[in-house]
Amino acid sequence: MAEIIVKTEGLRYIYSEGTPYEHAALDGVDIEIEKGSFVGVIGHTGSGKSTLIQHLNGLLRPSYGKVFIGGEDIWANPKDIRRFRFKVGLVFQYPEHQLFEETVYKDIAFGPKNMGLSENEINERVLEAAKLTGLTEDYLEKSPFELSGGEKRRVAIAGVLAMKPEVLILDEPTAGLDPKGREFILSEIKNYHERTGATIILVSHSMEDVARFASHVLIMNHSKAAMFGETREIFKKVDELCEIGLEVPQISRVFAKLREKGIEVPESVLTVAEAKEAVLNILGKGGKADA
Amino acid sequence: MLKDITFGQYFPGDSVIHKLDPRMKLILIVAYIVLLFVADGLFSLLIGTLMLGVIYSMSKLPWKLVIKCIKPIMPIIIFTAVLNIFFVEGEPLFEWWIISVSKKGVLTAVLMCIRIICLIAGSSLLTYTTTPIALTDGLERLMKPLQKIKVPVHELSMMMTIALRFIPTLIDETQKIMAAQKARGADMESGNVIQKAKALIPILIPLFVSAFRRADELALAMECRCYHGGEGRTRMKQLKLTSLDWVAAAFITVGFAAVILMNKFGPEVFRL
Repeated sequence: MAEIIVKTEGLRYIYSEGTPYEHAALDGVDIEIEKGSFVGVIGHTGSGKSTLIQHLNGLLRPSYGKVFIGGEDIWANPKDIRRFRFKVGLVFQYPEHQLFEETVYKDIAFGPKNMGLSENEINERVLEAAKLTGLTEDYLEKSPFELSGGEKRRVAIAGVLAMKPEVLILDEPTAGLDPKGREFILSEIKNYHERTGATIILVSHSMEDVARFASHVLIMNHSKAAMFGETREIFKKVDELCEIGLEVPQISRVFAKLREKGIEVPESVLTVAEAKEAVLNILGKGGKADA
Repeated sequence: MLKDITFGQYFPGDSVIHKLDPRMKLILIVAYIVLLFVADGLFSLLIGTLMLGVIYSMSKLPWKLVIKCIKPIMPIIIFTAVLNIFFVEGEPLFEWWIISVSKKGVLTAVLMCIRIICLIAGSSLLTYTTTPIALTDGLERLMKPLQKIKVPVHELSMMMTIALRFIPTLIDETQKIMAAQKARGADMESGNVIQKAKALIPILIPLFVSAFRRADELALAMECRCYHGGEGRTRMKQLKLTSLDWVAAAFITVGFAAVILMNKFGPEVFRL
């Protein structure tokens, strides 16, 4: 079994405890995420996704329970919490709203600078992060405020990547982007995942994206981790997902319907490419998938 | 930290006080403040206090709200009391070293404290029972005569409404930006004053940028709906004075009369 990098134990978070407005945003979440996995987090608005991810890098302190990163309890010494923020990089929703420096270079360097790295190391990391996010050198001296929305977002993501986090968490990184921009950001994340072997946690509303990229899926519902497991296993449970009120990937839905009609198709089809394969197989043209 | 800031501390409810017309409430609160200063003795001031008590219980607000609004001005109250006790001259009640406390001083201190408390509690009652929007609405209507001397009344009240509307939004935004910069290792807690001030830059710049962006978007949205200022603009919610408002006005008037009578014919003790 692979090493566990992120672990939560009986994690509970209660807003405004002790007042009439008290309400639990997280209510007993126990998850274990293996090193190097790509986890998709899905859930309705208000299901506790954002609260959960803010616990993983110590922005929020659990009311009850513990968070372990690489086997260490992150709140063992509260003064030491910044160390974990560098280990676990968090990209918020609409991260372009956090840009503030005069140049793109300086903004990407903000994180590494806070880490107390040497000038050389910072320079190296900024260039690397810029390259990863497809920002060419002539961007680096521009002001981040004169870039387009998609470019700003790439700068913001580069700012987190430059810290070289072992765990990278992204909260809906493609929200508000056009299909081209979405595709770019997603492939960039996948690229980072493959090149560095970092663990990725991706919060997304798009079942298709999760099905395509994630190795594991975490379903949040009513402040609890409703389901957690391998992507294929989770998306097989079409009925359960529908009960929570979540959509399954379109392809999974189509195949579930086909099975209902008595056509024997495999259960674990997730992407269009796999679907094509499966359909051709049934039609007796297996292997000659050139249509 | 930021979530403790309450502004336009409106407490929803459907008491008669909540239902009063904001214009009437504004006028009456001004009248009530005048009343507090017209009262020149302990007994007339007690009438004022009693009136406030009656209104508060009618508003059905929790009593601890009174304490909540008095708390922040406690230092001012204490300061005023101390100042009056020691520095108002009159026949000394007792003397010690260079300190002399006069009867008049104690009385002035007590009266001033009651006045300040009633004043704050009274005006807080206004904000507790009136939504900020209704309040600016009422203000706009009351200030309307000023338009004759070219005061941009509508624009001013629109600005106030928008400002009030955006306070929670901006607080929210600040929290998000703070979290985002913290996630990049920004250190806001440690360091000396200068370092702390510097640490604010990564928060303030994005906040300003977003405030301007929002202002731009809002202006555009308003223009799209053909907003062109207050001229010829009608309202969805017309303010209407009901019999309730006149009862309230009568209540304050009677209170006012009672205070004046008490000033004139009341007992001569505890007077200034």
